[in-house]
Formats: sequence, C-alpha cells, structure tokens
Amino acid sequence: MAYSEKLIEHYENPRNVGTLDKNDDDVGTGLVGAPACGDVMRLQIKVSDEGVIEDAKFKTFGCGSAIASSSLATEWLKGKTIDQADTIKNSMIAEELNLPPVKIHCSVLAEDAIKSAIADYRAKQAAKRAMK
Amino acid sequence: MDPFATLGVEPRFDLDPAELERRHRELSRALHPDRHAAEPPAQRRLALSRAIEVNEAYRMLKDPIRRAERVLEARGVPIGEGKEPPASGALLMEMMESRETLADAVRAKDAATVARLGDEMRDRERGLLTKLAAALATVSPETSQQAMVLLGELRYTRRFLDEVSAFEEVLAG
Repeated sequence: MAYSEKLIEHYENPRNVGTLDKNDDDVGTGLVGAPACGDVMRLQIKVSDEGVIEDAKFKTFGCGSAIASSSLATEWLKGKTIDQADTIKNSMIAEELNLPPVKIHCSVLAEDAIKSAIADYRAKQAAKRAMK
Repeated sequence: MDPFATLGVEPRFDLDPAELERRHRELSRALHPDRHAAEPPAQRRLALSRAIEVNEAYRMLKDPIRRAERVLEARGVPIGEGKEPPASGALLMEMMESRETLADAVRAKDAATVARLGDEMRDRERGLLTKLAAALATVSPETSQQAMVLLGELRYTRRFLDEVSAFEEVLAG
C-alpha cells in the first residue's frame, strides 16, 4: 500500500503534539477512540475571546494515518473561528492525506475529535455564562 | 476463510490449545510438499495453498482476540470498524493516561517502570480474557454484546502490551 508524501510527512514530523490545560475555560478537549483497533486520540483547542482558535494540540496513540489525521486537523484548526472549525469534514482530511480506503476511519476519528473538542468548549462557555 | 472449518474444530472460544496444536500439526504434515512431490503440479499447488490456509487459521485461532472475533462472526455478529460499541469515556481517559505514562517511561529508558506497567496490564488482560470466556460460553444477544465490549477493551490492553514488547525488544538489542 502506497501512502502519500503528505501523510508520511505528518507522521514523521507531527505538528502541535502536546497538551493544553483541560481545566482552562477557554480550552475545549475532545477524547475519542476506535475500539475496533485500540486507537485513542485527544485533541484540544484554545479559543480567544473573539471566538478564534489560537492554539490546538493533539496526542494520538494509534497508527500512522491516525497520527497524520490529527496532526493535519490541528494545523487546520489554528486561526479558524469555532464555526469555521465546525465545518471540517473527515472527507477533507482523507482527501488531503490521500488516505487509502482501509484508513478512512482514521479521518472519521479526527473529525469526531474536533467535534467533541468544540462541544466541550461550548459546554464550558455555556456553564460560565450560566454562572454570571 | 472459516478458520474453524479449516482446522476441523468446533467454532467455540474455549478450544483446548493442545487439541488445536495437534490438528495443526496433523494437517501440516499431511499437506507437506514432500508428501505431494510425485503429484501433478495442480495438485501440488493445491496442497501448498491449503497448507498456507491451515497456518493462517492456526495463527488466527491461537490468538484469543482474533479467536473471539471469529466466534462472534460465526454467530452472525458483525465485527469491525463502525460496527462496534463505542468505548466508554472512562476507558478512553484511562487508556490515554496509561499510554502517556508508558511513553514517558519508554522515553526515559526506565526499564523497571515499563516492566511493572507491563505486568499490571497483563494481569488486567488475564482478567478480561476470563470474563470474555464466560461471556462467550453462552450464545445470546446479551452475551455477544458483553463480549464486544470486552474485546474493545482488550484491543486497548493489547496495543499497550505491544508497546511494552517493542521496548523490551529494543532493550534486548
């Protein structure tokens, strides 16, 4: 199976590996997994007061395609508004990395991680507003 | 390929390992190229491809995770990406944490910690396999569902233990 250069590049030099403070109100954390293969992926976003994603980090324990998918996702997330980020689809990730069909589920995992990080951030903001 | 049929054993999880090994040995002997050297090429090829199939079936059924998957499949339960129950948030959190702890110990080349983490995970795997055997002992939608959840967790423990083995192999040089 031939993997694309871009995929290999992200796998060998993953961007934005790391952790943000999950207790920070401005940080949304998504933790997702694929029980069919034992992968686990954490993706975090830090959102400015203007609603722009100023930082994104990930940590993935899984195959090369899962690592590359989440690495690319964090690269795309930075600088986007929350609403723009919400429009990222797994098919866009799969296309950009030219994922083989058996690895499409890795891009689905990355989209799930983005959605779940956004949902976590929105829930925190809603809770904060409710407190006021 | 139905690995149970290939090896001529019942499609059940609690197969006797000695019986499995005996079937594999017998079939491999019968299919050995030396025994078919005098036959026409088509027959020789057939024996060879069956020998390969027998080896693959044996490897599949020896591994408890893959054996459980085949047992469920034989019961008509769909297995694979998107067909499995999602992992619980608590399990994912725990696995993320334990993988990070392991990664730190590997990075620090802390063999004692890696060995301890490996032992703990092996204990857990043993416990899960016992539960899996119990779940697969009865055939019902409920027990199949239980088995799927246990399998999901087992794939995480397996991945963890693969990392431990990889580290130990590097260390052993």
